[in-house]
Amino acid sequence: MYQHTLFGAYINAIILLLLQRVLLLVASDVDALCACKILQALFQCDHVQYTLVPVAGWQELETAFLEHKDQFKYFVFINCGANVDLLEILQPEEDTFFFICDSHRPINVVNVYNDTQIKLLVKQDDDLDVPAYDDIFRDEEDEEEDSEDESDGSEPSEKRRRFEEEVIERTMKRRQRREWEARRCSAMVMFDLAWIMSKDLNDMLWWAIVGLTDQWVQDKITQMKYVTDIGILQRHVSRHNHRNEDEENSLSIDCMRIAFEYDLRLALYQHWSLYESLCNTSYTSASLKLWSVQGQKRLQEFLADMGLPLKQVKQKFNSMDVSLKENLREMIEESANKFGMKDLRVQTFSIHFGFKNKFSASDIVYATTSLMENIEKEDSETTNFIKALDSLSRGNLDKLHQGLDLAKKQLRAIQQTVASCICTNLVISQGPFLYCSLMEGTPDVKLFSKPVSLCLLSKYLLKSFVCSTKNKRCKLLPLVMAAPMDVEQGTVIMVGIPPEVESSDKKNFFGRAFEKAAESTNSRTLHNHFEMSIIELKTEDRSKFLDALISLLS
Amino acid sequence: MAAERGLELVRELHRAAGGHLPPFRTEEMRQALEEMRALYERNQADVSEAKSGRTDLIFLIRFRHCCLLRNQRCLLAYLYDRLLRIRALRWEYGSVLPNTIQFHMSAEEVEWFNRYKKSLATYMRSVGGEEGLDLTQDIKPPKSLYIEVRCLKDHGEFEIDDGTTILLKKNSQHFLPRWKCEQLIRQGVLEHVLS
Repeated sequence: MYQHTLFGAYINAIILLLLQRVLLLVASDVDALCACKILQALFQCDHVQYTLVPVAGWQELETAFLEHKDQFKYFVFINCGANVDLLEILQPEEDTFFFICDSHRPINVVNVYNDTQIKLLVKQDDDLDVPAYDDIFRDEEDEEEDSEDESDGSEPSEKRRRFEEEVIERTMKRRQRREWEARRCSAMVMFDLAWIMSKDLNDMLWWAIVGLTDQWVQDKITQMKYVTDIGILQRHVSRHNHRNEDEENSLSIDCMRIAFEYDLRLALYQHWSLYESLCNTSYTSASLKLWSVQGQKRLQEFLADMGLPLKQVKQKFNSMDVSLKENLREMIEESANKFGMKDLRVQTFSIHFGFKNKFSASDIVYATTSLMENIEKEDSETTNFIKALDSLSRGNLDKLHQGLDLAKKQLRAIQQTVASCICTNLVISQGPFLYCSLMEGTPDVKLFSKPVSLCLLSKYLLKSFVCSTKNKRCKLLPLVMAAPMDVEQGTVIMVGIPPEVESSDKKNFFGRAFEKAAESTNSRTLHNHFEMSIIELKTEDRSKFLDALISLLS
Repeated sequence: MAAERGLELVRELHRAAGGHLPPFRTEEMRQALEEMRALYERNQADVSEAKSGRTDLIFLIRFRHCCLLRNQRCLLAYLYDRLLRIRALRWEYGSVLPNTIQFHMSAEEVEWFNRYKKSLATYMRSVGGEEGLDLTQDIKPPKSLYIEVRCLKDHGEFEIDDGTTILLKKNSQHFLPRWKCEQLIRQGVLEHVLS
């Protein structure tokens, strides 16, 4: 069932005894990329031959599996494969092994209880409500016994039928109960593995940090979990990076070092100007309501309160006066508190190597995401995946800078779209949820045909909407967002995100809701993405799908 | 007459830098040999005449002799340099040469190549114990036993000597022993990834 600490032993067994090759199937998100980098480094250390195939959805996963199943016996799935019954879908041979390291929840119970072929890489102390094996799988036998007894007995047939129906209902409910547990980012699981095998390096630690930050940027984990995980990583950071404090034995400036920072929550601010960063970060933009004229005034007041001249703030951050930069963080925090932004600072890490290269973890996350979803060059998805994977290595700084530029464009596009949606009241309440649909001619709409960008846009839109609306009920509703995906084929990509509530546990029920709505209306949908709450559907079926969804959720 | 054709052949080889093997110039070779034969015959005739008295022909004979020697030198240089290049091809491409290159070789050169291959193989078998030692692998000392390669184009299934098949799809990455990948890297299908 759970094979966490034994994964390392398995890998040793693979190399020494079996000399087998392993196939890595990696999903397309930053957490998966980071986990993949760590695993690659571990495999290279131990000379395990592997092949890496990027997969963007279920169809690619199945194709890759079919193509490679004759050559490989060991498959590792990173950030894909946990939420469906893998054995049923892929129909593998008896001697194939699947190792799944997936941060998507819920995990399918069949994957949990399969002892032979499926191994889940999960940390054992995460809170888990796994329904007991007996509860789910014993009911079948019980049901048969009960019905047998009753057929012998002389009870009236109606009563028997009712009883049987009850039993069947109970069994179905129990079978459908899945596991919800706090998401653990795959990169951290991989880093733990490396640590247990004593093969962890500073590089791998940095990738684990980036993976965790990606989950935080995409709002997939709660603040509590983020802070706890940061604490865990901080211990590792001090273990690897303690030599800087000692004056005599300090490392050369070119060596890579990671530092803990209580940094500002402004996106890319060190590679941009402070003004741009304030305008294009969702937190500040939503709190100050920067889509309105009033909001712009408040921004000016905010800057004046801190004593930062506009001219300084609008130029590149690195060229700002040193005297202004010295106490910037504390100054901003103080002023931010006055303007209602209590959480402007966040615990994070940054990396330094050389004199010029200083990046914060969220910078890398934004850069890698925009490289992966780059629409500019019309390369295939796998080419973008490879570019993004390369940009995570320190030797490929040019790709990283390209990613940063693309990220700036993406953030600007998101903010402009959010501003226009709010000003033109495009977000409508449909009853149980809010709905917003992007029209075809909207500028930068092509950028939002990619899932992660669309999710980011939806989250920022929801945050801004919650700050802008006066309707108390609407503030608690989830959001469904639609954007045109492929104009020629007439498809639309639709995303559902949970409501923006302080104490939410970020569980997303839209996956099941979308499935059911699609079934009931016979809409032509494609649930290709690993995240169940993202689907593609034909534009014509959109309205009936939405109606079904409304009736389902009300 | 003064070995111009021979010189042309040498110049052509000199221009083809970097070990590239231009096509074998049978026609020019034949013409140069024809020239040599003509010079030799005239020299023969003049020598018999000079023996019977006409000593002013000696300079002409000497001059023709020098031309003959120059021709010989040019042609031998041409042939020898080509053989050296063909020998280098064995070390670069392996025992099977691509068709384009084979077109550029004359029949005798092909024969020479086969014999060189055989003697190299015999030598390699004799060195290094039972299985022999493949000297054409790892010309430079390798940094690691295994390398990470990325597939640049769809190459389909690739079977290696020990029977394992690898499916090479565009943008898939593989971590394989060095000796399995070198040939494909030279062909441009795989790219070595340095991280």
